[in-house]
Amino acid sequence: MNAIDIQNLKKAFPGFLLDDVSLSLPQGCIMGLIGENGAGKSTLFKLMLNMIAKESGSITILGKDSVSDSHQIKEDVGVVTDEIGLPECLTAKQVGKVMKNTFARWDEGEYDRLLKKMSLPEHKPFKDFSRGMKTKLGIAIALSHHAKLLLLDEPTNGLDPVVRDEVVEMLSEFTRDESHSILISSHIVTDLEKICDYAAFLHKGTLLLCEEKDRLLSEYGTVFCTKEQFSFFDGKPIRCKKETPYGVELLMKRQDVPDAIKVNPISLEELFVFMMKGGS
Amino acid sequence: MKGLLLKDWYMMKTYCRAYLFLAVVFLVISFFSDENLFFVFYPCILCGMIPVNLLGYDERSRWCLYSETMPYTRKQIVSGKYLIGLMTQGATILVSGIVQAIRLQMRGSFRFGDYLAMMLLLLILSMISSSITLPFMFKKGVEKGRIAYSVMIGVVCAMSILFANLFAKRFGEQVLAASLLPVLPTICLIGIALYALSWYLSVVFYQKREL
Repeated sequence: MNAIDIQNLKKAFPGFLLDDVSLSLPQGCIMGLIGENGAGKSTLFKLMLNMIAKESGSITILGKDSVSDSHQIKEDVGVVTDEIGLPECLTAKQVGKVMKNTFARWDEGEYDRLLKKMSLPEHKPFKDFSRGMKTKLGIAIALSHHAKLLLLDEPTNGLDPVVRDEVVEMLSEFTRDESHSILISSHIVTDLEKICDYAAFLHKGTLLLCEEKDRLLSEYGTVFCTKEQFSFFDGKPIRCKKETPYGVELLMKRQDVPDAIKVNPISLEELFVFMMKGGS
Repeated sequence: MKGLLLKDWYMMKTYCRAYLFLAVVFLVISFFSDENLFFVFYPCILCGMIPVNLLGYDERSRWCLYSETMPYTRKQIVSGKYLIGLMTQGATILVSGIVQAIRLQMRGSFRFGDYLAMMLLLLILSMISSSITLPFMFKKGVEKGRIAYSVMIGVVCAMSILFANLFAKRFGEQVLAASLLPVLPTICLIGIALYALSWYLSVVFYQKREL
């Protein structure tokens, strides 16, 4: 069973269209949703959580329909957003009591364990938490009701590298259970590269690609040539092209590059930037 | 739902201390005041605004969005605020009722008809404020809902002055019980119906709103 199945999803706002998005996340996997600001990542999350109405298409989360089974889905899904919307006056202890009366499978012991592990104060008001502490508390909430899927919308936004690393570690721990899956969006691609099994690129509401990360990185490479040498590639399927004062950089599938030409390995971040700047 | 009420309770303990202080001050003044019943009505109007203010805090902290990721329906979120309203208003009317009963007994002017009329008016006044404001807030958000808030303040102030004057002039003359009491149950029913209609509209508006 797929943890997430999205088919032909469409949502229009004035000046923005999430256009015909289809993607699947197999259970037990982590997918990184990568896109620039305003690409439609948060809109996709809101649609999955039935916070806004879709125009067309279907969304299935853990085998359940996102609209008709929204209530059950939210019991099984842990959500962390870039800003954790907890009332400022609440302490972590009080948050635990509220959540105990919110989620049917709330695990008080696990919540207390996570608070201790993350060194989060129990009696300090949320407004006095640092940004990193707020995100950690959001993660503790998401992990304390035995969620099977985590939806993380820019959770590492604005965090320092140490906290980001801790967050990534916690997420890795979560996916040790093979039934657990994560969809995580970010424009900090290096974080995603560390943990993702799948990568999906969203650009101006359109899904450019959605593939296994390792396959993507082994399949694609860059080729650097002069403007004169560029004519050798006539008729070859070039995915993207970037012209610089020093020559031309091409994004190509390794299989399409002639044997004599050196292909440079590419990181997920480079691939993302290439596709955003060079067009697909 | 229990989680929502608990969260609001924690918020009230922090944010509504000023309300409690003002309510106590006004009740104390009303206890020693001879005629001006504005001091009796005002704490009830004030406490009627608590759900509106809690909703404002929810929006500011982005709880409105965050709660959407939890197993709550929008109907439960709206109902939570109306329930908090009923609880705070109920508690205020109860305390005001006890204070006024003691005051009237001590002065030897306790008449059950007048007392009941005053309690019913308190109930209506406290319900009106949130009845008018909450549907606008759930439809347009707190910022735009402030327009409704301003209108409501005007309506409630006008009504409270009207009622206060009415009571002040007639309380001692035993005219009120005879003239107003027969229609008060109807007015009270209208007040309750207005609160129910307000809840229904808020649910419909909030369910349609894209956050």
